[in-house]
Amino acid sequence: MYQLVQFLTRQRAFILFALLEVLSLWFFYSYNNYPSAIFFNTTNRYAAQALETSNSIKEYSNLRDVNKELASENSRLNQLVSTLQAQQLSKSVTNYKADSAVAARFKFVLAKVQNLTTTQFNNYITIDKGSADGLAPGMGVISSTGVVGKIKSCSEHYSVVISILHSEYSVSAKLKSNNEIGSVKWEGVNPDVVEMTEVSRYKIVKLKDTVVTSDFNYVFPPNIIIGYVKKVGVKADQTFHDIEVQLATNFHTLSYVYVINNKLLNEQKTLEEKSGDLKVK
Amino acid sequence: MTSKSIFSQVLVFGFYLLLQIFFVRQLVLFDYAFCFVYIASITLLPFETNRITLLLLGFFAGMSVDIFYNTIGANAAAMTLIAFLRPSVISLLTPQRGYDERQTLSLNSMGLTWFITYTVVLTVIHHFVLFLLEASDWGLFLPVMAKVICSTIFTTVVIVIIQFFRRD
Repeated sequence: MYQLVQFLTRQRAFILFALLEVLSLWFFYSYNNYPSAIFFNTTNRYAAQALETSNSIKEYSNLRDVNKELASENSRLNQLVSTLQAQQLSKSVTNYKADSAVAARFKFVLAKVQNLTTTQFNNYITIDKGSADGLAPGMGVISSTGVVGKIKSCSEHYSVVISILHSEYSVSAKLKSNNEIGSVKWEGVNPDVVEMTEVSRYKIVKLKDTVVTSDFNYVFPPNIIIGYVKKVGVKADQTFHDIEVQLATNFHTLSYVYVINNKLLNEQKTLEEKSGDLKVK
Repeated sequence: MTSKSIFSQVLVFGFYLLLQIFFVRQLVLFDYAFCFVYIASITLLPFETNRITLLLLGFFAGMSVDIFYNTIGANAAAMTLIAFLRPSVISLLTPQRGYDERQTLSLNSMGLTWFITYTVVLTVIHHFVLFLLEASDWGLFLPVMAKVICSTIFTTVVIVIIQFFRRD
């Protein structure tokens, strides 16, 4: 017994070291696997407030870019309004009419970026809206220029977003010109380029084609821009194209984002789960 | 150690942490070189600091930085490791005549070669653990090594430059 105590006192530095290492690795892996279970991130109120203060200084230098992006978004929206009005007038050919609840199922919440990284292997963005504004983990996030990511965890007034620049995040996407479906994922190195896979090599892929979110998507409305085809290649033994996509969103100057609240998401999911046995896939 | 020098050590420790969290966090060169200047909060503590204090401070510093980087645990693990290895590195690097009683752990008193070797060794260990944990994928080994090398140079240069502004 005495020897044991003596051993423990002699090795106390090593024991403490081992304990702290185990503790940090436990934090690290549990944060990656059970995100909402942990409090220590930038949704922590004090951390977020500190970031907000330091950010308010940086904001002024970004105003020019932000204005430009908002202006171009305005013009795009105006364009869209006019097209929609025109369609309404000429009455569509089919008899399909979306239920008003379905047509208006997406609600957009504007939020300001408090903190973001682009150069780590797993990038996150902190925004200044949280559960108090109706946000919840799993909701999609876009900017005026394109897809940004998905909410990972929320506190009352802040949320952390998994950016599309994250090694474990992929988005269902399609090519605008021929509606080919694939999925978009980040390779982990260049923050301006993502990879699109699962497009059959026998289909034609045009350079500069627009890549948008597909219709088979819980978090994003269809046709939100992800990026533009930059390079097309095929690996020798693969049946899929290897497409490099230039991201439409410039993550370096990202300042304001919209969080998409799909009000009918739960209804759709429950229905699909209920009929899950019947699904043929 | 007098209470005055403890107080100034606390100030220095806090200075490196705040510098890291509010200023250097945004600083990335060519997407590969990161600056983790807060390593100095542990590496530059006085020679006589005991191991337990080193470990606890290292863990605390790593955790604080992790909160702001959203990498909870990664920096803490790396910092705890270098806090644990620091005494061994110091004794490995003992100059031929041994350490002088009155020497402090700074660039002025230890000389450029010793100081840079010491900083580089601990920085490489820290960066290697940190980036490898973050990547969690051996397929990314080459980008990880590139980041480790570029960041080590960047961090070391910044730590050395700050040394030139010390008053002692």
